[in-house]
Amino acid sequence: MMGVQGPPLPLIALAWPLLLGLLALVPGVRGMALRLLVLAPLPALAYAATGVAGEATQVPWLLLGVTLAADRPAMLLLGLTAALWLAAAIYAQAYLAKSKNLPAFSAFWCLTLAGNIGVFLTADVASFYLAFAAVSLAPYFLVVHERTPKAMRAGQIYIMLAILGEASLLMGFLIGAGAADSLLIGDIRAALLTAPLGNLAIGLLVLGFGLKVGLMPLHVWLPLAHPAAPLPASAVLSGAIVKAGVIGLILFLPVGAVGWGQALIGAGLVGAYAGVALGLTQTNPKTILAYSTISQMGLIVAAVGASIIGSLGAEAVAFQAFHHGLAKGALFLSVGLLAACGRGHFWPVLVMTGLVAASIAGMPLNGGALAKAAVKPGFEGYALTALALSGFGSALLMARFLWVAARKGQTSRIAPPALMLLPWLALVAGALVGPWLLWSAWIGQDYGKLLVVDTLWQAAWPALAGIVVAIAAAVFRLRRPKIPEGDIVIWLEPLAARFASVVMQMRVPKMATVSRARVTRLQARLAAIETGLLRWQIAGLAALLLALLVAA
Amino acid sequence: MNALLPVLILMTSFLPAIATFFLPQRAFASRNALNLGGAVLKLSLVAYMLWRVSEGDAFEARLSLAPGLYLLLRVDELALLFITLSAFLWLITTIYAIAYLADSPNQSRFFGFFSLCVSATTGVAMSGSLVTFFIFYELLTLSTWPLVIHKQNKDSIAAGVSYLRYALPGSAALLVAIVWLESATGPIQFTQHADLRLLDDTSLKIIFALFIGGLGVKAALIPLHGWLPGAMAAPAPVSSLLHAVAVVKAGAFGIVRVIYDVFGVDLVRELGVGLPLAVLASATILWGAIRALQQDEIKKRLAYSTVSQVSYIVLGAALAGPLAAIGALAHLVHQGLMKITLFFCAGIYAERAGIKRIDALNGIGPLMPWTSASFTLGAMGMIGLPPMAGFVSKMYLGRGALEMGQLWVLGVLAGSTLLNAAYFLPLIWRIWFAQAPAELTVIYQSRVANLALIGPAVIAASAALAAGLLAAAPFSPLDWATLIVTRNYTP
Repeated sequence: MMGVQGPPLPLIALAWPLLLGLLALVPGVRGMALRLLVLAPLPALAYAATGVAGEATQVPWLLLGVTLAADRPAMLLLGLTAALWLAAAIYAQAYLAKSKNLPAFSAFWCLTLAGNIGVFLTADVASFYLAFAAVSLAPYFLVVHERTPKAMRAGQIYIMLAILGEASLLMGFLIGAGAADSLLIGDIRAALLTAPLGNLAIGLLVLGFGLKVGLMPLHVWLPLAHPAAPLPASAVLSGAIVKAGVIGLILFLPVGAVGWGQALIGAGLVGAYAGVALGLTQTNPKTILAYSTISQMGLIVAAVGASIIGSLGAEAVAFQAFHHGLAKGALFLSVGLLAACGRGHFWPVLVMTGLVAASIAGMPLNGGALAKAAVKPGFEGYALTALALSGFGSALLMARFLWVAARKGQTSRIAPPALMLLPWLALVAGALVGPWLLWSAWIGQDYGKLLVVDTLWQAAWPALAGIVVAIAAAVFRLRRPKIPEGDIVIWLEPLAARFASVVMQMRVPKMATVSRARVTRLQARLAAIETGLLRWQIAGLAALLLALLVAA
Repeated sequence: MNALLPVLILMTSFLPAIATFFLPQRAFASRNALNLGGAVLKLSLVAYMLWRVSEGDAFEARLSLAPGLYLLLRVDELALLFITLSAFLWLITTIYAIAYLADSPNQSRFFGFFSLCVSATTGVAMSGSLVTFFIFYELLTLSTWPLVIHKQNKDSIAAGVSYLRYALPGSAALLVAIVWLESATGPIQFTQHADLRLLDDTSLKIIFALFIGGLGVKAALIPLHGWLPGAMAAPAPVSSLLHAVAVVKAGAFGIVRVIYDVFGVDLVRELGVGLPLAVLASATILWGAIRALQQDEIKKRLAYSTVSQVSYIVLGAALAGPLAAIGALAHLVHQGLMKITLFFCAGIYAERAGIKRIDALNGIGPLMPWTSASFTLGAMGMIGLPPMAGFVSKMYLGRGALEMGQLWVLGVLAGSTLLNAAYFLPLIWRIWFAQAPAELTVIYQSRVANLALIGPAVIAASAALAAGLLAAAPFSPLDWATLIVTRNYTP
């Protein structure tokens, strides 16, 4: 009864970061808490490399009965997540060495990591919900780590929306579990398609997961929170943590819910373009990257929509997300790297950053182009055109990022620390080359089709056009409109504050209390009646006596 | 043996109660030994009975009071759920109370009534008939009153008056309901479903309403909850026990008994009285949470939180479906563990750092890490975050509501989750993130950490964590609640 059935490694992969997180708080270990972060993702990485997709580990006594299993898309994203967290942890060794509050930061880093691993490994809804809560709520502590007013505000908006998302997901899960009469995610997905309340449940799930992936207009927290966190945390937030929402959509939304698939395609593509437009107005390189994440996640959500319609395999979506995770992680880390570079290293680092940026824009021959080629077959009509042209916007936004990031660098002559350079290099290589290595195994096509001139040109021209426009904008000094980080959040904040104050001041209806005066009056009346009664008693007694006398 | 055990288990708290009244104030050692000994003995007896009952045994004792009037003590699965909770919490609360009241006066009076209150709770749990239930229910009212006014200051006297003002009409309603019902059907025992059909529908509906009115006072259903926030004037261990197990739970437990063992689920469904009760419970859940949000004092906020959370139990019972019933019964235990944690911690904050108001909590976390960690776990459980116990309750209540086709209940659960987050997260934020004022450190350093206060809080928090994390393991509250429902209430 109390055992574990199946391979123990998935359970270890989940428990290990939690253990290290607790260890980080133990007095003797607190001083080296940061070091533990490097160890935390190792078992998960090992499982992603050696695990068999679909095999299940069961822990019947834990929670409501835990089942761990990852199918192929989840396994790929698990590998991405573990690798990115590892790279960010190594980077943090140098970047955060002098930071304050490191034990707490490390503990919540590990908790978030465990949740992030968990969403890919869990196959029952209770443990998925637990993992999702961890990966949604624990990053709050990473966002507010620097305790600046800006970070605190970002954290507050983040946590409020995260809680809202949790409540929405819980309701969706409950309806699903009720419809399926099972806690297994596979059963729930199957039941949602035909259940009477299925559409309500799917809507709630889209709301909850949409918040996580930054689906427009649920994105407002993302441009605030991702830049506010320290760089290594921003990298995992934008690269890996948002993928928790992607896997949620893939795992729970039933293939065949065509209406929902189309809605996701539409919302995703709108987000892809709106993210670019809003990002172009920003001046902070990290905020620009956050908007780029919104844009890229829009494309991924659109691909999820295609997979729900049934025109695309979930493997292709995972493949696309895999590339984005590595590339976005590398871009975030490059912000700190460029700032730490002396003249000797600046240009090589900037050029390689440019390559990753080009990959995000889907320029031919690098990982991003493959990612786009992988999902293209799932689209048709306007959606296909919109997807193909998205490279234009991405290139424009990436050019803006490079421009802003390059201006911030070149302050010193020193070489960047190896602990920052090496993990960054690994991510750059992963983003550019990784998709090539996985292409035939994951997409099931040979490489030949990728190298046809026509295909290359189709991928290249929107991005090239973007670059041309970007250069033109720089030459002609186009003015950018001023839009605050988080755009529409500035309208939502006063609304939320107003709502809160209404609730806080809600009047208590006065209970029907009997007033003191009325009590006194009542007492007086009772007393009078009693006095009367007494008189009657006396009178009665007298009458009785009289009667007795008469009778006698 | 089977007849002896229920009596024995009642005596483990009743005899120490009586003996304690005769001890002088200075007799610390013997008083503590009596109460702790009773609690430990009780817990071991409970453990033995848990094992036996899980094997399918039941224990029953009949004590004759007067011709035709007898006390029927019966330990079945449902009774044992409540007894186990009260026995466990009595032990840790006693430890806490001994430390909390270290030098205060009138300790023999306090511990005497404290143990008496626990005996009454045990009696309520073990009652096998309506009359027995009523007797112990009244004993509970009377034995808690001296605890509420224990401090004998203006606030606590006022609280005591308000408590009686609510409790006595409640008792009257309960008595009328019992007499009316039994005048038609004869004495009602919980195990044998009496034929209530001897009465017409209207009478039955009125009787049901009287039951809910009578029991709803203790369960703090709106608008009968007014006494509870005032009762906060009592010392921390009393608030803890009142809120977690004794009084409010006796009310909720009574409602469960009335629905499942007096009326029966089928009759409740036929009469159509379940839905109004579910609506009332839902209104209480939301209203309690909104009122909690408006409080500035920690204990007041926790009190309104109790109003809100106890109605989860009533809601689950009123829905009258198997999954909802499991959720309700599991929450009976879960809420007890989580709420007692929070009250223990609130007491420690007040005792050790003089913190009573929410805005004074700033930065206390790093100074009092164990207490604050326990408080955080308890609050997380109240919000319903996994892996805490509250999550398990919510999961079953939600599924149970859907099973009965009551979709709107999900909205109530979601609203309550958000409100709970809104009134607990700011506390957690203050505890761990806000800057501590300089004088706090001074006050804090002038007092000594007391293991006997912190220990119970940590134990209760761990229990609340374990109840959720190991919900599927044997003998977890959820497992036991499932056992109750599958054995007794599944056709």
